[in-house]
Amino acid sequence: MLTEEEIKLMKEENERLLNLSSVKSDMVSISAHQIRTALSAQKWIIKMFIDGDLGKLSAEQENLMHKAYESNERAISIVSELLLANKTENVTEKQYAFAEVDLAELIDGSIFDFSGETHSKGIEIIFLTPKTKPPLVRGDKEKLRVVFQNILENAIKYSNAHGKIFITLTEKDGFIETSVKDTGIGISEDGKKKIFEKFYRDPGAQKKAVIGSGIGLFTIKKIVETHGGKIWFDSIDGDGTTFFFTIPIYK
Amino acid sequence: MSKTILIIEDDNFLQGLEATKLKKEGYEILTASNSVEAFKIIDGKVKFDLILLDLLLPEVDGFMILEKIRQNKEFLTIPVIVFSNLSEEKDIKRATKLGISEFMIKSNFTLDELAKKVKELIGS
Repeated sequence: MLTEEEIKLMKEENERLLNLSSVKSDMVSISAHQIRTALSAQKWIIKMFIDGDLGKLSAEQENLMHKAYESNERAISIVSELLLANKTENVTEKQYAFAEVDLAELIDGSIFDFSGETHSKGIEIIFLTPKTKPPLVRGDKEKLRVVFQNILENAIKYSNAHGKIFITLTEKDGFIETSVKDTGIGISEDGKKKIFEKFYRDPGAQKKAVIGSGIGLFTIKKIVETHGGKIWFDSIDGDGTTFFFTIPIYK
Repeated sequence: MSKTILIIEDDNFLQGLEATKLKKEGYEILTASNSVEAFKIIDGKVKFDLILLDLLLPEVDGFMILEKIRQNKEFLTIPVIVFSNLSEEKDIKRATKLGISEFMIKSNFTLDELAKKVKELIGS
């Protein structure tokens, strides 16, 4: 049994940690912006060398410049992932707050968030927007954003360069079903059994992030189920994976 | 007649690279590193056809500059490309509400791609 004094101390410690988390989160945002500014300058200069704007390069120089450009792209990608992890860390801890959510708008926003990554890998995202505007769902907007981003992030990771990702929204029996299909390598047999387990990381995922989004499908599944929905996937070895999740329509 | 672009960017180095690239593409360039310089140009007599706007600027940020620009009848529909390394949803939403043609994250694009977007919006 905890004493009143112990409870008070725990509450104060909790308060302190929440504040610390908020300060850290701000620091990450500011640092990320500054790093991106430095990376932009590098990116543009290296590209000028590659394009021959600063004089003809020898074969060796050109080769090294390409390596430098790839390395710079990688750094830019990591910063984007860091920013996402920064956002999701705050979101998954909070209590659920259900309201009307426009899934199509959320998806558009997420596609934009990943434009840097998809751009550098030459991946095309095709969002097959339904002809009539789908009804709003009942959900916690920020948590749903985390769900969708996680699935999209996986689709990008499993995709080959210049692959395509297809996204659909369908109304079905009082739910909105979202599907995200990639044309990548598919989930391994081992992965298919374990992919919703906590901390599982499929070894087949290409270009594994140095920093992942910080949460796996285990947490995503919990969020979807807390919403009253379901999440599942179809995956054919070598032929891509489609993730599906359903969220109830707002009544 | 060449088209003119106003670049509002406080990082001198980035501003220089952007200006050099767009000049090469045949555009006339005006530059400003802060709101004071920007408004001098905006309130002045020189006409321009597009604004390339950074968001994080000293003292008065890009949003406030954009708000002021849109309050001026002359600039209600001038194309604005936000060229920033900010990418939070709230920033994009805020800029979009003020009527922008494009929100481009600097580190995601090469200068060639920037020039391509400018050409799409105002021609060469």
